[in-house]
Amino acid sequence: MSKRPAVCREIEPHLLAVATGEADRRAAERVEGHVAICRSCREELGQYRAVDGMVHSLRGAPMVGDDATLARAQLTARLADLRSRVVSFGIFPSRLGPVLIGRSEQGVALVQYLSASGSLTASVRRLLGDDAVEDRSATEGLRAELEEYLEGRRARLDWPLDLRRMRSDFQRRVLEATSALPYGAVASYAGIAARIGAPSAARSVAQALRWNPLPIVIPCHRVIGSTGALVGYAGKRVELKQRLLAVEGVKTVAAHHDFRVPREAMYTLMDGEREYCVPTCGSLSSKPLSVLTLFGTRERAEAAGLAPCSSCRPDLHPLPA
Amino acid sequence: MDGLLSQPVGTGVSIGRVMAEDAFEAVVGAHHAEIRRYLLRVTARASDADDLSQETFLRAFRAYRALPDGANVRAWLFTIATNLGRNHFRAQSRRRKAYAAAALEMPVGAPAHADGQVMAEQARARIERVIDGLPEKQRLAFIMRKMHELEYAEIGTSLRCSEESARANVFQALRKIRRGLDGHLAAGTESQA
Repeated sequence: MSKRPAVCREIEPHLLAVATGEADRRAAERVEGHVAICRSCREELGQYRAVDGMVHSLRGAPMVGDDATLARAQLTARLADLRSRVVSFGIFPSRLGPVLIGRSEQGVALVQYLSASGSLTASVRRLLGDDAVEDRSATEGLRAELEEYLEGRRARLDWPLDLRRMRSDFQRRVLEATSALPYGAVASYAGIAARIGAPSAARSVAQALRWNPLPIVIPCHRVIGSTGALVGYAGKRVELKQRLLAVEGVKTVAAHHDFRVPREAMYTLMDGEREYCVPTCGSLSSKPLSVLTLFGTRERAEAAGLAPCSSCRPDLHPLPA
Repeated sequence: MDGLLSQPVGTGVSIGRVMAEDAFEAVVGAHHAEIRRYLLRVTARASDADDLSQETFLRAFRAYRALPDGANVRAWLFTIATNLGRNHFRAQSRRRKAYAAAALEMPVGAPAHADGQVMAEQARARIERVIDGLPEKQRLAFIMRKMHELEYAEIGTSLRCSEESARANVFQALRKIRRGLDGHLAAGTESQA
């Protein structure tokens, strides 16, 4: 193969540019001048033009597998799912300190107590997900209802919930059983375990409630230890649990580093009954807390649809206030 | 406690966000078919093009909010798709090399005995095979430029190289295609000069 003259080698990139229609005027004139006198470059330019023409015809040629319909439908479904998981959240001051409320298209997904500074910890960020957007207006209505609740002016938060952040089916069952506890009532961890058919799982119930993504809304503050001690809440903030119970009319007494719900001062419901009693009715005082639900006031028990016991008559002989 | 799970779906996302989502729908409508076609050319497999085009738009959806106003959305999507395509190749490089080597060895009909139509078909098939056998960067640059008419600056952004380097890669691809077509190009091109 003979070596090409330097001028031809130098002009070769310009041949390409001319053939593909990308050359500026000066380069085009140079090429024109050169190919007029150089046969081999003239042929090369012609070949590049032919190549470019064929490449161009490939662009519109049909391709095997060029049907985007299925992929588009799958994409639409995945985007819809992704969107429905995106959390909009707001951070608000409350009488329990800064509170974050997050909601998705499906419903309220997250309620979290924040530290006094209102900053987001890594675990809260993880719960929010990468796509979360701060949008106070999306949660303002929820905030107003929560405030009413914390002031004792509202007994229910009838919010649609997004429970896709549940860690397990077990946690879901625990939280559903907890949601069934009426306003102003408390039951024990062992009691929740019994209600979901896992009577020996009291500790697992406590763990599941520890990771409750929706405290207050799913009232894990109504679940206490078998001795009546409040045990724990929101990390080490058991005083929040005491305050929430106080709002609902549940009395507590201070006990070393903790609070305790005094059984002897609570109206009492035995599992499976429809009547509530004073705590001394029959053999009630010897029953474990796991088979009982305790109410702070008669009003709360009756609001939960219960009737006064026909033997101990709490309506005629109420507990001392 | 069925009630906890079966309550009606809430409305309440803010107006601004809803509008952003509609805008993204429009992005999908405008570009999905082309991005998938690009990925089909790049991967040569419809199932890979399906997966990677979905992934391209899912990533785009996550990042769309942060995209500045007036950004070139199409070029940005090509960049995401190109990155995914290259990652895909890294995983599949062994398979692809074997495929490309086999493709180059396939016999092609002798040009001297073919009429114009058949010859053009053969030449196109040969071009496709040469493209398949190109080094990755040249191939991607060539497809973006020649099949999708992206600007060299946009191609440079996608391939993390300069505009000049993007152009050089496309030209190098054209040289290889011309060499690959040796003897398959029609005679008498001289008259065009």
